[in-house]
Amino acid sequence: MSISYGERFTTFPVLIKIVLKNKQTGYKQLPEDPNRIVVKDVSFSYDIMDENEHIAPRLALDGINVSIEKGSYTAILGSNGSGKSTLAKIIDILEVPDSGKVVIFGKDAGNDDLFWDIRSHCCVVFQNPDNQIVGTMIEEDVAFGPENLGIPNPELRERVDQALKDVGLYELRNREATALSGGQKQKLAIAGALAMHPDILILDEATAMLDPSSRDDFLALVEKMRMDKGLTLITITHDMTEALRCDKIIVVDKGKAVLEGAPEEIFMLDNLWDYGLKRPVKFNFAFEIAKLTGSELTKEDLVSDDALLSAIEKMLAKPGIKTPEAALEDKRLDEAEIIMSVKDLSYTYDGSDVKAIENINLDIRKGEVLGLVGESGCGKTTLISHMNAIFRPKEGDVIIHTKDGDLSCKNKKDTMKIRQNVGLVFQYPEYQLFEETVFKDIGYGLKKMKVSKEEAAVRIRDAAYLVGLTDKELSSSPFELSGGQKRRAAMAGVLVMKPGILVLDEPASGLDPKGRQEMFKIIKDLRDSGTTIILVSHNMDEAAKNCDRICVIDRGKIKAVGTPEELFENNRAEELGIQIPRITSFSGLLRARLEKKYPGITFDSVNFNPEKEAAAIVRAVCGRGGACA
Amino acid sequence: MLNNISLGRYYPAHSFLHETDPRVKTVLYFIYLVAIFMVKQPIAIGVLTGIIILQMILGKITPGIMWKTVKPILPLALFIFLINIFTIKDGTVLFSWKFIRVTGYGLERASIMAFRLLLLIISTSILLTLTTTPLKMSDALEGIFKPLQIIKIPVHEMAMMMSIALRFIPTLAAETDKIMKAQQSRGADYDTGSFINKVKGYITVLIPLFVSSFRRADELAVAMDARCYHGGKGRTKLNPLKLTARDVLAGIMFTLLAVLIVVIDLSLR
Repeated sequence: MSISYGERFTTFPVLIKIVLKNKQTGYKQLPEDPNRIVVKDVSFSYDIMDENEHIAPRLALDGINVSIEKGSYTAILGSNGSGKSTLAKIIDILEVPDSGKVVIFGKDAGNDDLFWDIRSHCCVVFQNPDNQIVGTMIEEDVAFGPENLGIPNPELRERVDQALKDVGLYELRNREATALSGGQKQKLAIAGALAMHPDILILDEATAMLDPSSRDDFLALVEKMRMDKGLTLITITHDMTEALRCDKIIVVDKGKAVLEGAPEEIFMLDNLWDYGLKRPVKFNFAFEIAKLTGSELTKEDLVSDDALLSAIEKMLAKPGIKTPEAALEDKRLDEAEIIMSVKDLSYTYDGSDVKAIENINLDIRKGEVLGLVGESGCGKTTLISHMNAIFRPKEGDVIIHTKDGDLSCKNKKDTMKIRQNVGLVFQYPEYQLFEETVFKDIGYGLKKMKVSKEEAAVRIRDAAYLVGLTDKELSSSPFELSGGQKRRAAMAGVLVMKPGILVLDEPASGLDPKGRQEMFKIIKDLRDSGTTIILVSHNMDEAAKNCDRICVIDRGKIKAVGTPEELFENNRAEELGIQIPRITSFSGLLRARLEKKYPGITFDSVNFNPEKEAAAIVRAVCGRGGACA
Repeated sequence: MLNNISLGRYYPAHSFLHETDPRVKTVLYFIYLVAIFMVKQPIAIGVLTGIIILQMILGKITPGIMWKTVKPILPLALFIFLINIFTIKDGTVLFSWKFIRVTGYGLERASIMAFRLLLLIISTSILLTLTTTPLKMSDALEGIFKPLQIIKIPVHEMAMMMSIALRFIPTLAAETDKIMKAQQSRGADYDTGSFINKVKGYITVLIPLFVSSFRRADELAVAMDARCYHGGKGRTKLNPLKLTARDVLAGIMFTLLAVLIVVIDLSLR
């Protein structure tokens, strides 16, 4: 059955698959529904080599059943490794099921004659923008798909131009694709898909590597294309608020579709955490108010912001609410000593006329979590690269204040001392592991510092336990670990140096909600144990919630520094051009309503933790003489 | 630091050479390769330099861009220059100190050798890399070597592999840079220590680079698969190569110039 599969350009593990599958008999006919994507009882396993070089199948899909309507907008959610990406590949016949049936709009995917027909009408945009660009020039890349389909000129030219116009890259069509920003590269991928005139578009975590503004931009574009071209849109995502935009959510866990329903149905459920998921921030907030007021929310309340706000108002008016206790104020760090000062720092890359960073002045206080926020390319990475002398300051300086005196990043002799004091974890650090075992990898820096073997062993274990790795993982190869574990191992490799200051570049990117939460738990533990943390983040919700102070960088300059409260109160965020945390914008709507209803009501300052904010709202209503006990 | 490599990079512009058929440019490149290796007389080399400067103007390549391309080669050119100057002992002695003896003939030969290397690099980048996108270059090679398909040589696949390799040079250069920085911040030191230590240091960079290249290759293969790539059969081209009269004329003109140079060179011997 698989002659045509054999022609695929693909890599060897998949080839093994194909050979194995040739032995199977063809699919049975299904009752064909021309308006649905039907995945029925599909199982699929990857063949991986175990330690003894035996092929060991790893089950990715375990009899999954999914049905998606034509023209709908579906989100597939699930934890890392749940099988959701494999499901996407099955729908595009990039993988062939071990068993079960796939019927796309009435066409049986097991039928060889329909193979190219199905695949050419289904397009996938993957997570990593760099790894899906084939052409050097933008228009060459867009043409790659239709060229493969054998579309002749002039239609080919028309398709390419139209697709580029649709995504807004037409003016750049003769530029190099590698020169684009991350968001633009993903738009290019969309253009490449549109030029194939697809019926189905699958986004496989396509927004995971984008900053919030390019993410919104990208989603708005994709949704517009869906409306204009009548696409069936399937998005695989870890972002719960993104999933809210869809008509339907399918939750995948351990290779099975465990939940299916409209967003308001799914997010009513209490057991999402079991699947590594959680509710969108505003729902978290609403459910917390429900808990505090002893009321229940219904799924109708979750349908729109308006409905939800009305429901919350009603709950707050309920008689007999117990006043929640005031949250304890976190300790203020204004008085803490300064541990690092960045002074008049500027940097220009070779061959560029624009300063990547310009006149940065910033004091970092001992024990704080300082957030660095700003759009991609604003100079955050350039700035943090100066903090441990990876970039030597050309103009200005970075001074590290230690017990043994000040260290200047300008001073070459201090370099090693600085790197021991300031640990720097770059984005996706798991891609930099290289040793045979995790133990050795974590110990790499200690070896360079010539720490004795005995002491190193103790410190390696300490660092590993700190990030939640066990002895079992320490003895295995770093390449055998799961994505989240790899990230922790890479972090431990920096923590093992016991740095007083830890700089983290997007430590939670690409992780599922549970993984993110665990990562922030680690960060909080580190802070509590006295480590000063500088956190680069795109996610304003997490930055506001976890940082003591936030520094906003825009085009290489510091635009504002202050506590999250200072930055996000009284619409200052708008003026600064940064995204408002979702909880703040939603709670703001509620506060405005309550102010109308209870004239003279006073609120605490905004809280970025949805649970605490919920308590603050309930307390405010009680204080205004609501119906509290 | 690796991002600044312009060797093998395309320079986007609209120029006579950019618009010339890449097959013509590839053939011309081979002709000039031969010419550069044949000329020995300073006058002929002077004329050759003039023609290459003319090509540079026709390709709208600024001296700045050219300098970036040539810069990484300078140490090698210098090395060739020194080797020649110290090993050629014929001719009148200009300078002598202990065992070192510099002769007039040696100086002349050394200069010519080093200069020819630079011309080679400049000519390659003008005719090929700077003015031709990798995809066009692979189209050209595919076009030129198409007859080999008869003897079952997978010309299309090889051309596609080449263009992908070129497309990933900047990506992998950026990745290398990232890995080196991450390891430096963990105490790695690539600049000091013995030669062995330096080599060892680079191995720790190469492993993650290899692993990530395989991952990229895997992801790219899936992405190409998703975009229905199935080899060269039945593929169309957005910008199919079209040989115009102008291309042929340019080809003939520059070929004649190359022949002229060789003739000048041979007649002066």
